[in-house]
Amino acid sequence: MKQDTAAKTMVIASTLYFGLALTMGLLTALKFVVPTVGEIEYLSLPRVRMLHTNINLFGWLLQANMGVLFWILPRILHTKLFSEKLGVAMGVLYNIAVIGGLVSIVLGYVKNVEYGEIPPPFDYLVALCWVMFGINVIGTIAIRKVKYLYVTVWYTLGAVIWTTFVYITGNMFSQMPMVAGVNQANLIWFYVHNAVGLIFTPLGVAIAYYLIPKQLDTPIYSHKLSMIGFWVISFVYVWTGAHHMLHGPVSHWLQTVAIIFSFSLIIPVMAVITNFFGTFATAPRHTRMVGPIPKLLMMGTVYYIFTCLQGPFQAIRSVNEIVSKTDWVVGHAHMALFGAFSYYAMAGIYYVVPKLVGRKLYSEKLGDLQFWIMTLASIPFFAVLWISGVVQGYAWLNPENTFVETLAAIKHAHWMRFATGGLIYISYFLFLYNVLQTLFGKYADEAQPATPVADQGN
Amino acid sequence: MKFDVEKSLLWTAAGAFILFAIGAVMTTVVPPMVDKTLWTSEYPVHEYTEQELRGIAIYKSQGCVYCHTQQVRKLDSDQRRYGWRLVKAPPSESWEYVNDKTHFLGTKRTGPDLGRVGGKYSSEWHWAHFKDPRNMGEKFPDRKGIYEKASIMPSFAYLSDEEIKDLTAYIQTLGRNQNWRTDENGNPLNDYEK
Repeated sequence: MKQDTAAKTMVIASTLYFGLALTMGLLTALKFVVPTVGEIEYLSLPRVRMLHTNINLFGWLLQANMGVLFWILPRILHTKLFSEKLGVAMGVLYNIAVIGGLVSIVLGYVKNVEYGEIPPPFDYLVALCWVMFGINVIGTIAIRKVKYLYVTVWYTLGAVIWTTFVYITGNMFSQMPMVAGVNQANLIWFYVHNAVGLIFTPLGVAIAYYLIPKQLDTPIYSHKLSMIGFWVISFVYVWTGAHHMLHGPVSHWLQTVAIIFSFSLIIPVMAVITNFFGTFATAPRHTRMVGPIPKLLMMGTVYYIFTCLQGPFQAIRSVNEIVSKTDWVVGHAHMALFGAFSYYAMAGIYYVVPKLVGRKLYSEKLGDLQFWIMTLASIPFFAVLWISGVVQGYAWLNPENTFVETLAAIKHAHWMRFATGGLIYISYFLFLYNVLQTLFGKYADEAQPATPVADQGN
Repeated sequence: MKFDVEKSLLWTAAGAFILFAIGAVMTTVVPPMVDKTLWTSEYPVHEYTEQELRGIAIYKSQGCVYCHTQQVRKLDSDQRRYGWRLVKAPPSESWEYVNDKTHFLGTKRTGPDLGRVGGKYSSEWHWAHFKDPRNMGEKFPDRKGIYEKASIMPSFAYLSDEEIKDLTAYIQTLGRNQNWRTDENGNPLNDYEK
């Protein structure tokens, strides 16, 4: 089988899922302001929200990360992917699992696991695909032709190991009959936060650790710092699950442990940030920001700082008392998964797709336009969610404010979220068009399709 | 600090797993061992009836948990907001949830917390509210003034009457494991106490 077939299938599939997930997100945002839209069971607000989260996490982000890493790993290990056939087989099975899961969610067969609603047998199929992914990753590393493992390999390896336990705990152990009540809640929130921290963070950071030095043609700022970041995150991140239940009915010491480790998460984040900004700083000044890829990587890093500073502070008990359960948390979740990791995944796709078909990106101008619309729309998107979160939090302190009055007070924020979400949705189509045109389209000034064109539209 | 780990797949994988395993065990296996109230209760806890179990299944598949939490937190504001006639609601305790095979503690309060809602509203109120949250007919006139229009609760009119009755039966059990609503001379307040 031709090299990189697995990577190509997963990159294309994930780009399409991204559109579907954003459609569900826009519909959810619309239902927040006009609740009477689409009042049928299959489009009810919670169902559409479940689709939004699951398509985003599994259809788009995890698949894009896997696809881009299938392309990166052979390059940095100077070898071929361990087994291309296994990769493609996994791609097919994985998409069956995702589509099956989504149809079950629409019909209402769900688990009560947030970000893990996909019911059996499809969640078992996802776990099986993850084992196949692990075989490919570990196999490729085993047949490597390089002495030193670069940090991207570390983080990918870590993600492979951690995800296995995190996914199984959240989706299988939590559903066992003798696990109930707050004990089940603890296992599920172990999965929920570690899904973000030990699956999407290592995979996203692994991609960025490869892309930033390669795109800027500059060595990574400090190899030692990247090792510190890796070892600290593998120890620190896993303890934080209980910060979803602060002031709640779970044991007090577990909450305190979760707070302490949520706060110490700043260490690995600062290691990653210093490395990325250091590489940007030492890159040649006039070429380092040309085209969409470095812009997406830079903005992704900026969002990564904000969300990883917001996280530790909202885990403090007194701050949590106000912002917990409000739109503030929605802003935090979106900034991490959309702002940081979807930006890295889009940069990865913009980097990999031209190399998959051996020609330049269809239009860098279009990529820049998509970047600017997405960024200028997502900044107010996050800001408005944070503001409405604080308004809700303080309004709830005073029992004279009835709940519905608080909801009426933040109607403006929900309208703004719907508007900026719409802009993000529109700019997604520029991304889709750019990627599909690069893959399949005819270039205007191309005599015969094979040869890459020297100067192209920038 | 350059030693062999950087060159070896085995050491990296083992190291990553061991460091992860410490925290994983400490936050998933140890808590129920140390804190019995996570899964046992020395107080009587409500056993769900057949109808209430059907109500739980509907609550899960309709995804009510994404807008409603079920935990009165150990915060004065929570206890006063979710209390009843100046009686502060007791914070939810972990033993109250031991019979919940599917927990709904929740993470987002787009709608109010339901941790202690059992018995506060009449079942007819709930039926009308599920049917059309923004216009509950003449029996329950505009109960919150102009703000009723601000409610974004989806209408569950597509549920059959039977399903709505099951769902309401489940909701009426919420928070009743502690007998916290008693009148001045201590006998318990029954449902829909006006």
